[in-house]
Amino acid sequence: MNVLIVEDEKSLASEMAAFLEKEHYLVELAHTGMEASEKIAVNLYDFILLDLGLPDYDGLDLLREAKEINHEAAFIIITARGEVEDKIKGLDLGADDYIAKPFSLLELNSRMAAIARRKFGQRTSHISFGEFILDPLSRKVICQDSEVDLTKKQFDLLHYLLLNKNRALTRIQLYEHIWGNLLGDEYDSNFIDVHIKNLRKKLAEYAPVEWLETVRGVGYRANTE
Amino acid sequence: MKLRYKLSLYNMLTKLLFVAVFLLLMPYFLERVNTLQTDNELINKREQVMDIIAEFGLEGLITGSGNDAYGSYNILKQEYISLEKAEADSLWNFIEIAQRMVDEEVIDYRVLNYSFMVDGEAYLLEIGTSLDNIYKTERNIRTITLVLLGLFVIISFIADTTLSRVLTSPLEFITRKLKETKSPSLFNRTPVKTTTTDFVYLDQTLLELMQKIDGLFTKEKEITANISHELLTPVSVVQSRLENLINNGGLSEQAAEKVSESLRTLHRLKGIINSLLLIARVENRQFIKNDQFSMEKLLREVVEEIEPIATDKGLKIKTHYACDHQLSQANRLLLFTLFFNIINNAVKFSGTEANGPVEVHCFRESNSFQVRISDCGSGMTKEQSDEVFLRFKKQKSSDGHGLGLAIAKSIADFHNVSIHIKTAPSEGTAFLLVFPEDL
Repeated sequence: MNVLIVEDEKSLASEMAAFLEKEHYLVELAHTGMEASEKIAVNLYDFILLDLGLPDYDGLDLLREAKEINHEAAFIIITARGEVEDKIKGLDLGADDYIAKPFSLLELNSRMAAIARRKFGQRTSHISFGEFILDPLSRKVICQDSEVDLTKKQFDLLHYLLLNKNRALTRIQLYEHIWGNLLGDEYDSNFIDVHIKNLRKKLAEYAPVEWLETVRGVGYRANTE
Repeated sequence: MKLRYKLSLYNMLTKLLFVAVFLLLMPYFLERVNTLQTDNELINKREQVMDIIAEFGLEGLITGSGNDAYGSYNILKQEYISLEKAEADSLWNFIEIAQRMVDEEVIDYRVLNYSFMVDGEAYLLEIGTSLDNIYKTERNIRTITLVLLGLFVIISFIADTTLSRVLTSPLEFITRKLKETKSPSLFNRTPVKTTTTDFVYLDQTLLELMQKIDGLFTKEKEITANISHELLTPVSVVQSRLENLINNGGLSEQAAEKVSESLRTLHRLKGIINSLLLIARVENRQFIKNDQFSMEKLLREVVEEIEPIATDKGLKIKTHYACDHQLSQANRLLLFTLFFNIINNAVKFSGTEANGPVEVHCFRESNSFQVRISDCGSGMTKEQSDEVFLRFKKQKSSDGHGLGLAIAKSIADFHNVSIHIKTAPSEGTAFLLVFPEDL
């Protein structure tokens, strides 16, 4: 899939690009509004990641403009302004999602996956691991025909780990994914540990969960290799 | 004492003083005036008598009666006249107060003594006017004056009180406006309705002051917002870079640990910036308050979020929803954050030494909806609880950034919810949140 990153902070753009390329996206960069405007006029993109705080362009204008030319694309607004109105305006103008700086690349990845699933009808939705199957659409985890009863948080946690399987996720990355919408909370490493502990306990009732590893000093990993 | 009471009291005192002086001096003046008038009358009468003597001679008076003296009282003994021979060597002409015995009754008279010579003989003329009448008139005048002055004092006191209330009412209006002002930006701009220019001036000066303060506040908040915003982009760059480092693999376990640690530090920085931004935005009233929701449902959600952590610590969260409250003028996300922070705080500081559950209790008391969140933790001293809402004031050791309760406070203020803390060392802590009716 083609991704255009519109971001004036060059080092951030290149980090995002490096990450997304590893995720097998085709990435192009635009560092100014003009550059982005030109690229959007010529190429077709599946994703446009749009920083609202461009030096030469009002991000919301660019969104409006891009929506007209390239209305198939999925737009994710990226901003450090974090003003509530920006978010509402952006979503009103047809943006698919909104992510506030500083964000985790893994979070970006999971948001893009969710949009792809929703918007482009990607049906590779079932994720199997060990003896379990996770269905993100019905939000169910099945083990040998019986459903594992998970809370919303436990499901989200597992889904996120599997979406980024074989990668060590830090507690903070997990925490931000689950509680990212909370305003001004205080991070407590306990939160994730407790939820992982409970998740393991529940899954273990059905089948072994050795694949859900603790990575020393980092966090957790769903090892499906 | 209120200005208007002071004004009317002062007015009354000056009037009373005036009345007192008047009452003290009045008898003296009254007497003087009366004496003067009586004396004039006596002199007039003397002239009349002298005229009669000049025309008809003394014979008609003295000889006719067969005596050397003549005297006459009128029936009511108010006046008398007497004429008698006197020693030739003394010439009298004076007026005095003297007592005369008339029909066994002693009466005060104002007496004119006048001696004159007729045909080489000296005569003394006495004309007297009873003072009784004068005394009576004086008493009457005094009584009437006293009554009139009393009435005057009472009526003017009522009038003064009313007038000063009307006059000072703009001052009360201004005071009320000031009292109602929760923040300079909310200062009631309705101008005071009065013709008293002093109050108009006061009102305008206050308004200008409020605008000035508000301007400074806004500027300070904008600076906070701008600084935070400028900090977030670099943080974002570093975070992405570190994440890529971990993701790309190939790091030794030790290196991965270090990177992960750096991410944690970065997260702390981000948490602080975001929290400061949030407080600035809440204080700048950038959030819209028009969500409609049930408080009980919100509390249940918050408790559900925190319960796993509490359970893991072996701590219970006991809830008691005695009544529900429907909010319609509030921001749900903010109130969620408010309760999350307070309940999470209660769980955090309950510690393992806590000897009881965290309790969340909502109820209605004196017509307002209230939520009490209490823990059986180690409690706080007065000094600690006074500082609990200050930024960066951490209680004991915690991995938070010490902004959770500062955020809670700003959200509560934004919603006009008042927070009261009841705590004492080793007696646990209770936060009581009182909601306004119109929320």
